[in-house]
Amino acid sequence: MHELSIALSVLDIVTTAAAGAGLSRVDTVRLRIGRATGVLPDALRFAFDCSKPGTPAAAAALEIEEVPIGGRCNACDRDFTSPEPYVLACPLCGGGTFRITTGDELAVLDLEGEP
Amino acid sequence: MKVKVVTNILKANARIAEENRRNLRERGITTINLMSSPGAGKTTLLARTIRDLGARVRFGVVEGDIQGTHDAEVIAALGVPVIQINTAGGCHLDANMVQSALTELPLEAIDLLVIENVGNLVCPAEFDLGEDAKAMLLSVTEGDDKPLKYPRMFRECEALLVNKIDLAPHLDVSLEKIRRDALALNPALQVFEVSARSGQGLEGWYAWLEGKLRA
Repeated sequence: MHELSIALSVLDIVTTAAAGAGLSRVDTVRLRIGRATGVLPDALRFAFDCSKPGTPAAAAALEIEEVPIGGRCNACDRDFTSPEPYVLACPLCGGGTFRITTGDELAVLDLEGEP
Repeated sequence: MKVKVVTNILKANARIAEENRRNLRERGITTINLMSSPGAGKTTLLARTIRDLGARVRFGVVEGDIQGTHDAEVIAALGVPVIQINTAGGCHLDANMVQSALTELPLEAIDLLVIENVGNLVCPAEFDLGEDAKAMLLSVTEGDDKPLKYPRMFRECEALLVNKIDLAPHLDVSLEKIRRDALALNPALQVFEVSARSGQGLEGWYAWLEGKLRA
């Protein structure tokens, strides 16, 4: 359910950026979301669509670029990337502890629209 | 026309959390964000902690619940300043809710502020409130599979209280597996096996809490 608060934050950021750039209508909003954030893209799209009426992004489409979880294993000291939504052990050696290096992203990248 | 933005979506929350942290630290207050699933024993633990340490430590409490004031009434009965936040359906507290609660607490009379988050093992882990440390409870009745099912919560916390251990003999639960899996996710985690009802094992938790106090 935290997707709703994230959708509202996205709309705040988009409304501010659109006003700053003189856009009256936003057509596309591009996000980057890492899998380690636990944010579900479908739930976020739904929350965004429910919340966008009355904003400059009322007709905007959300494009979500997902980033897989990557880490560096503390046991074998190698970098890995995993297609899984949860990573519990190093996929290379099975080591149980690692540092997450990618997958924590949660950002608005850019938006497209008309003045 | 394309407009570059590149803004962290949780930036607003992070900024307010940082304001809370600065405000609380300047006043010498230590803040703990206490999290667990519903029914794990957060309020029972907190009430017992206040009774046992209240003579030495001045507590303040922020209670987060979807609705109702039950938890705040339990804490208020102990003579501790408490503010209840009702999230009205929201599954976690955020920094903004805590910021408004802080304006209603007598901060000059508080050494240790405990924020009891909404019962939920998922979303609360993702929102910084401005705390010094996150701590969590896992009750043995929830099962020993939880660290691997909710890894983020276990990774974010500094302390884990495995609660209701007085019930463990009646359950098919392995305290050893909980400890092993939680430490695999977070080797720096402090694990305390306790019963908030009987008081068993709470010394370690109290020592950890008192170690967090600012002089």
